[in-house]
Amino acid sequence: MTQQYSRFMRWTSRVVMLSMLAMGLPMQSAFAVMVDTNQTVVHELANQDRAKINAFLDRADVIAQLQKQGVTANQAKARVYAMTDDEAHNIAGKLDQLPAGGDVLGVLLTVFIVLLITDILGFTKVFPFTHSINNR
Amino acid sequence: MSIPNARSLVVGVFLLCLGACATPPQTRLMLSSPPASLPRHVELTSVPYFAQDAYQCGPASLAMSLNAVGFSVTPEILKSELYLPDRHGSLQVEMLAAARRNGAVAYQLAPELNDVMQEIAAGSPVVVLQNLAFSWYPVWHYAVVIGYDLDQAEIILRSGPEQRQVLPMRTFEYTWARSNYWAMVAMPPGKIPETADATRFIAAVSALEKISGPGKVQGTYIAALKRWPGNLSAQIGVGNAAYQLHDLDQAEVAFRLAAHDHPDSVAAFNNLAQTLYDQGHSDEALQAAHRAVSLGGPLAQTAQETLAEIERAKKK
Repeated sequence: MTQQYSRFMRWTSRVVMLSMLAMGLPMQSAFAVMVDTNQTVVHELANQDRAKINAFLDRADVIAQLQKQGVTANQAKARVYAMTDDEAHNIAGKLDQLPAGGDVLGVLLTVFIVLLITDILGFTKVFPFTHSINNR
Repeated sequence: MSIPNARSLVVGVFLLCLGACATPPQTRLMLSSPPASLPRHVELTSVPYFAQDAYQCGPASLAMSLNAVGFSVTPEILKSELYLPDRHGSLQVEMLAAARRNGAVAYQLAPELNDVMQEIAAGSPVVVLQNLAFSWYPVWHYAVVIGYDLDQAEIILRSGPEQRQVLPMRTFEYTWARSNYWAMVAMPPGKIPETADATRFIAAVSALEKISGPGKVQGTYIAALKRWPGNLSAQIGVGNAAYQLHDLDQAEVAFRLAAHDHPDSVAAFNNLAQTLYDQGHSDEALQAAHRAVSLGGPLAQTAQETLAEIERAKKK
């Protein structure tokens, strides 16, 4: 029952996301029936309609995940708009597992000692005060 | 500490030291046989430095690279475009997307130390993602490579709190390799990265065009065509940008050139047909449209639509 419910919710939220996306994002310029520059680069668009729908879903997913990680709705939309279809596809569904370049903080004590040694040996570079030996 | 433990510690440290004497592959290759075209020492001292706030190495690094090539933007503005509050960091994809939002062509380099150094020698600072610690205990960090010294085997960076960080080349490679050698450059309009691959560069320009409009990228497509004469994607790019800017004559020239150089390109003939039709040359347009349809392939549907539209209009 709960599983069914959550599946229902998932699809409902997808549909809602999709329609919100459709309202928010200006469609890519539709000029006559020209072949887009990107299409000449990306050859594998055999089924263009399906590709468009998938791209839409990917983008909706990334918008939702960005919001989950603390980005406001409007910002998330604008941020995903600046991504290509490929980029959105590559991060959709796994945003929380991707590296997020941040900074050096909260290093545990045990790891601290290991890192100190490896810093000095030049395998790592966590601490600003270490100077590694430079042998070639 | 019991004796066996002490012994294993000694062995462990010994092995680590042994490892430290080894040099990672790209550094070894670079130092043993550097390309003759590379100067021995380059440092882009004019790249500005922004000290970063906590976790803000993404916005700070991107701000440095954008400002260095003439886009004035602060780390604070970029923060709203690429920082993930709950992750205390920024994603690689968003580094590229945010560069684009500020008007730059965001180009991801090939995973080669050589390419990074070629870009530096050509005057472009390179944003890199490093894992400063271990694969099992990652400390992800963005920094900007601004120089190198082949004689000292060093890489020079603007990195976090350090305005000028000098790393042994091999240490840089260790930390950089853990991100699978991820590196990008932000290019101003009309400029092409020294190491750019034609197809991937045009894709990057077209990504910018999608959000900035054709006017901002036309010059870059033209520069690309100059760099790679006869390249189909560049020809189509020049033509499409001109077409969207209602410069049909220039579009026609570009598509004719594309069709001439690439007689089996559906895109070239389809877009030539549409342009000729818009110019009122419907007979010639029909010819090009038929040619596009006859070529088939994944773009056949678009070609069919163009042909149908021209035929419909002719019957009226």
